[in-house]
Amino acid sequence: MIVVENLNKKFGQNHVLKGVDCHIREREVVCVIGPSGSGKSTFLRCMNGLESITSGSIVINKHRLDDAKTNINLVRQEAGMVFQHFNLFPHLKVIDNVMLAPLKVGKVSKEEARAKAEMLLAKVGLAAKMDTFPGSLSGGQMQRVAIARALAMDPKIMLFDEPTSALDPEIVGEVLTVMKDLANEGMTMVVVTHEMGFAREVADRVIFMDQGLIVEEGTPEQIFSTPQHARTQGFLSKVL
Amino acid sequence: MFRPFEWQDLVPLAEGAWLTIQLCAVSGVLGVIFGLILGIARTSPSRIARWISTIYISCVRGIPVLVIIFFVFFGIPLLFPGLEPDKFSSAVIALTCFAAAYVAEIVRGSIEAVEKGQSEAADALGLDYWRKLRYVILPQAVKIMVPPGIGFLIGLVKDSSLVTVTGLLELTHAGNVVTNLTGDPIKTFLVVAAMYFAICYSISLLGRLYEKRTGIHVDPLKLPEPAGL
Repeated sequence: MIVVENLNKKFGQNHVLKGVDCHIREREVVCVIGPSGSGKSTFLRCMNGLESITSGSIVINKHRLDDAKTNINLVRQEAGMVFQHFNLFPHLKVIDNVMLAPLKVGKVSKEEARAKAEMLLAKVGLAAKMDTFPGSLSGGQMQRVAIARALAMDPKIMLFDEPTSALDPEIVGEVLTVMKDLANEGMTMVVVTHEMGFAREVADRVIFMDQGLIVEEGTPEQIFSTPQHARTQGFLSKVL
Repeated sequence: MFRPFEWQDLVPLAEGAWLTIQLCAVSGVLGVIFGLILGIARTSPSRIARWISTIYISCVRGIPVLVIIFFVFFGIPLLFPGLEPDKFSSAVIALTCFAAAYVAEIVRGSIEAVEKGQSEAADALGLDYWRKLRYVILPQAVKIMVPPGIGFLIGLVKDSSLVTVTGLLELTHAGNVVTNLTGDPIKTFLVVAAMYFAICYSISLLGRLYEKRTGIHVDPLKLPEPAGL
């Protein structure tokens, strides 16, 4: 479903991704872990074209991202994204945040978009907050709205960029629960995260990145219990 | 030869004030429209659009308003023989050219002040450039541009007094005419000043009203702050 080959990304002189190869299958849940500055967020952002690719190739669901003829907006409709800082639209009510893309991009009727949005908000447990503005929500609620918003375009893949890093510890759980449900429904997910517990429990595969490279990957059991590489061991000994 | 300042002298002054209001309303609206277009062009992904608007804005901002007024008033009939706009039209053209450049900078600043994550979130949802601008960026930018925009419009009203040099009978010019009749510049220009003040103060009241009405929903200080800080 996602095929990344020899992905390189430079910001000026700064070589952030140094040849990343990665294949992600349909319905697979992949967690990407690693220290700050390891390139994991950049890696994720390359997958929906928020960062341009310096060299290499990414194929998302048969769309080649490195091909200038690819309509990036079609790819983005198939790959929803959830951000660390939620990035909800503060001038729109919660329900309108969720309805915006289906209505303006997806060309569905208003009733259809609304029914869909209500269903998604109910799914993330926020049906009651439909008509409020994002500014009055807690961080955890905002992130759940952001997940509903990303799901509104019926993406085949969901990309999560440290979705719980900006949250108070006691509300991290409510967001992780929603993500767990999503994983159980068979969504293909790539999750950049510092939540090792979540990675261990939900991921089919864990990727450890450091200094722009995938150092090690395997099942959560392999990575967390018997890491092979010294850098993986060093990182895990500090965070676990 | 002079006669004292009388109540009837308020009539030409009121007429002048009304002309000033019309002048500023028309050039203000046109200035905002062209300023929006230029400001959007200034932040557009198209290099040519950015280039053209940048050149226009820097040129106009580097020229005194009075020179623009003279240039339009005397220049247009010479550059386009046969085209002789009346005084009001030349004043509108000059003030619009001037206003567009300043409004464009306010628009650019406001668009850039919208948090970068908003643009990324719109991108990630698959909105193209125009939809992103229309539904995500501009609604937020407009709220940011209102306070400086109101400030600029007030400045425009005051700068419009410069078109008095073309002989258009706007408020300042009317003040001059009445002074020549009455020989009483103190009373006359006190009235003129009071009228300018009334116009400007009304604009700032309108601005405050707008801010109060929209401010309920979006307080830039209360935008989603990363929690846990």
